[in-house]
Amino acid sequence: MKAVDGLTLRIKKGEIYALIGANGSGKSTTVNMLTGALAPTSGSITVLGIEMPKQRHQVAARIGVAPQEYSVYSDLTLEQNARFFARLYGMDSRRFEARFHEMTEILRLEGKERTLVSNFSGGMKRRASILCSLIHEPEVVFFDEATVGVDPVLRAFLWGYFRSLSKGGLTILLTSHVMDEAGKADRIGLLRAGKLVDEGEPDNLMARHNARSIEEVFLKLSEKEFSNE
Amino acid sequence: MSKGNRNRFSSRRTAAVAGRVLTQIRRDKRTLGMMMLMPALIMLIFGFALGGQVSNIPILVDNQDSGYTANLGPSSISLHLGSQLTESLQNDSTVSVTIGTFSSGVSGVDSGTYSAAIFIPSNFSQTMLQKSRGMNTTPSIELYIDGTKPALDAGVMGALQGSVQNASGVKGFSLIQHYAFGGVKFSGLDVSLPSVIAFVLTFLVLLISLLTITRETTSGTLPRLYTTPLTAFERLLGYTIALLLLSILMVAVILVIGVGLFGAVVRGNLALLFSSAVLYALTNVLLAVFLSNFAKNELQAVQLAPLIAFPSMALSGMLVPVTTLPTWIQPLSKIIPMYYANQLFEGIMLKGYDVGTLSFTFLIVICMAILFFVLALSTVKDRMD
Repeated sequence: MKAVDGLTLRIKKGEIYALIGANGSGKSTTVNMLTGALAPTSGSITVLGIEMPKQRHQVAARIGVAPQEYSVYSDLTLEQNARFFARLYGMDSRRFEARFHEMTEILRLEGKERTLVSNFSGGMKRRASILCSLIHEPEVVFFDEATVGVDPVLRAFLWGYFRSLSKGGLTILLTSHVMDEAGKADRIGLLRAGKLVDEGEPDNLMARHNARSIEEVFLKLSEKEFSNE
Repeated sequence: MSKGNRNRFSSRRTAAVAGRVLTQIRRDKRTLGMMMLMPALIMLIFGFALGGQVSNIPILVDNQDSGYTANLGPSSISLHLGSQLTESLQNDSTVSVTIGTFSSGVSGVDSGTYSAAIFIPSNFSQTMLQKSRGMNTTPSIELYIDGTKPALDAGVMGALQGSVQNASGVKGFSLIQHYAFGGVKFSGLDVSLPSVIAFVLTFLVLLISLLTITRETTSGTLPRLYTTPLTAFERLLGYTIALLLLSILMVAVILVIGVGLFGAVVRGNLALLFSSAVLYALTNVLLAVFLSNFAKNELQAVQLAPLIAFPSMALSGMLVPVTTLPTWIQPLSKIIPMYYANQLFEGIMLKGYDVGTLSFTFLIVICMAILFFVLALSTVKDRMD
């Protein structure tokens, strides 16, 4: 069985691209292939102009990843987690201190530096995971279901943060199964059963399908597929 | 259970828990297989290992007895008691006799080639005959025996006594017995502590290492690491270094209790003992690093430790000397790391060997450590399936 089939994506520098689709539509598989954690059976992937997964060790230091699972060590403190990842990316201690301090402020985790991640709430773990993915100032970042299980206030905050990062030149690929929040992205790719069913800027997509929301676009595309089958 | 009907014992609820646990175990095919395989394997190994009889203990016999011809009136009798004794020993399957000079036998016992060397002096038959005629002489046989392996020592003594009974007329000689190692008879604790140390290191280092490494797999952080510049080599080496440092602490605790509290005999260099224990611990860390590539979760990891440790206990010479194992099992002992750990620890603690004497054993352990790391590297996953 193929989780992702014949998918063609092109994401520009500084863009926020949202890959949306239902659970099991192949979003995580796509992200794992783009980050080099999973090898595709066929096709080609280039990240930052470098071929993946062949030369993934060259790409690795320049990308950040916040996987769907929290993927931080729950038996370490926030600072220990961040420092571990920073060291994997070859950051020196001074640059780390400054960056970590800045990031805890932005992500509102100040005062929690010495707290074990196991004592964090879901939203805090999510922010901790995002912090660790950005600690080394990557050029491209992959957020897999970054806003899952996050309350509306934090979600709005995170989107504001993603937008400011993108203005700073960071390329963001995120996945979500919450259709409406994807409307805040620059471009959206709709994934269904491992295939890209449509792609475009949110407004264009809605106009093209005569829909008032991204969710409606998605539902209409799903109906079409059902009738085709 | 005190608050009315609702809290009464429910067999359905109980059955639900039992059913759920069984379903979960059934899903974990490896655990299920292990639960069937492991008891069978351990029973078979221990059965074969302990059911063996002491046999083929290597000894050297130097028979210098020139025989004696006694004139008894008209007839004369010729006595060759030394030859009779030697032949009888050669026919005894308990021991495997090499004929040679006593001095080569002594150095052979010192270096571990032989378990004992026996010297029969040239006047043995003569003095035996004289004694039987009531003359005041003391016929003697010299025995140079290892002294670190009670089962083997007993085997040699048994064979010697049996042969004495077979060689008619050999009675009332005195056995001049020397122990190769210090001339002291070690206590049961002294002779078993080296292999106890080896076993504790095998079991605990494997268990703790496997659990520590498998935690990465179950915590979900591994896929995240695949996306960083961290290479598989760096990751495995990182695990190894951390676990080696923990093992050094473990070795220190073991030696403090073994030597400090129980006063275990350490005839060799204590620093050498410490280093060789750390080396052996490292070998087990690397074995665990290799095996962890095949453990999907902590439960499977926990099963791997006894799967290695128990056969090691049975086959490494800890329970019974390897020479007493059935011959077809003995080659298996030679591929078990703990066999060499026993040799190192016994060598240093009981026999006072130095690095030079043990260099070959050290080399084998080092090669095993390298082999495990190479195997670990060649089976490690560098990305998701």
